[in-house]
Amino acid sequence: MKCRTVRSHLSSYRDGELPAETTREVSMHIGSCAECGRRLREYDSALGRLQALPRLACEESIAARIHTHLEVEMRGPGLTLLFRPAWSARPLFLPSLVPAVMVLLIVMGAVISLDREADRLPPVYVRNTGQQWYGRVPPSGTEGNPLFPSATVSLPRTRQGDPFWSQALAGMGQRSFFIEMVVGRDGRVSAVTLLDGDSFQAAPILDMLRHQRFEPSRVRGEPVAVSFYRLISGTEVRAPTT
Amino acid sequence: MVSKAMSTRTEVAMASVDVALPASESIAAPTAERGLVEECRRGDPNAFSRLVALHEGLVYNLAARMLGDPEEAKDVSQDVFLQVYRMLPRFEGRSSLKTWIYRIVVNQCRNRQRWWRRRRRDKALPLEELTASESVQLAAPPAEGPEQKVARREESRRVQGALLKLSLDHRAVLLLREVEELSGAEIAEALGVAEGTVKSRLARARDALRQALVAREGNPS
Ligand SMILES: [Zn+2]
Repeated sequence: MKCRTVRSHLSSYRDGELPAETTREVSMHIGSCAECGRRLREYDSALGRLQALPRLACEESIAARIHTHLEVEMRGPGLTLLFRPAWSARPLFLPSLVPAVMVLLIVMGAVISLDREADRLPPVYVRNTGQQWYGRVPPSGTEGNPLFPSATVSLPRTRQGDPFWSQALAGMGQRSFFIEMVVGRDGRVSAVTLLDGDSFQAAPILDMLRHQRFEPSRVRGEPVAVSFYRLISGTEVRAPTT
Repeated sequence: MVSKAMSTRTEVAMASVDVALPASESIAAPTAERGLVEECRRGDPNAFSRLVALHEGLVYNLAARMLGDPEEAKDVSQDVFLQVYRMLPRFEGRSSLKTWIYRIVVNQCRNRQRWWRRRRRDKALPLEELTASESVQLAAPPAEGPEQKVARREESRRVQGALLKLSLDHRAVLLLREVEELSGAEIAEALGVAEGTVKSRLARARDALRQALVAREGNPS
């Protein structure tokens, strides 16, 4: 066997993929040809060194790194109910989002104006970015800085026999709405934000949500304000009623 | 205006996933893997976090070794999982989840390199950074003295440097085989090429690495 042929076989030879006959010939050649023997040793050494490379690990969690992006993607159709874990309890709004909030406020303003009772009910969209803007964040667990459901923060419960859903579902059709709600320490809804869905079609359901009463969540016995998400769809309601 | 509002609105940080995961959890069994994929498809946010946590180590390592740049690797890892998330409904389970993820990593690295070549052609790869993060992450055995530590770091720098001299295709096939220990069929799946192509490419890549290491250190004999 010629040196060139032997060298072309080295990879398969190393992996034991050559036919027995060829393997024998390569072995014999390597035993007698110093140059090809050296080539094989270099080969083994190079691959051994590659295999010995330490595994690199990222110093920050990739999962945490992508979760902000995922939050966005998860708000698609077919979504059930999503909760923010406690560790993501951070100011939600960045300065760059303020224009977006403004646009939303204008859109939602139209919804509010449909409602004659708007003045004594929680606004449909009330996230005030000003507090974060100037670096002052209200105490956590208050309506201005609600907690998020987690192992220690349960969801606020709807009261037994709540007639809400049967009413809400009447006339929903096949529509679905994705909504963020804040339930305050008194069990009243302190904010309702339509995150996805037609704002005009959602107006009746948003209005009903504003009237809903909950048993507030408690942390160490103290009632706390909690922010959570709900997907309300005409065919099925997945709500934190348990 | 409306579409602008919609697109900006999507930036608002909202519902999220929970990344808590017991370290011992594993999806070695294919059924466990299928279950996890199913849970992800059903929109279970915890399931996707689990999927990320289970695979982020191998994704990051492969990306870092392929690109030789920890920052790039971080970005690639992020993009990989976002793509996994988007494409999960189309994951058919013909290949294993891991192989499928490897494929996305390789493709993302390829895209990244194109981008890199266009924009940052003159920038040297920050190998120093890579080895630095390596030393932080991988605690040396306690018996290892400072000299050994330096030698070990120097060695991985050398090997990584040799690796970066190869084409991206060669790097991919080498890393999948020698480091990730995939079979020829799995590599074919991950690279989207025929198994025969894997064999010939692997042979060329191995020889290229041998040459790069020999050339770097001079002929030892
Ligand atoms: Zn020979």
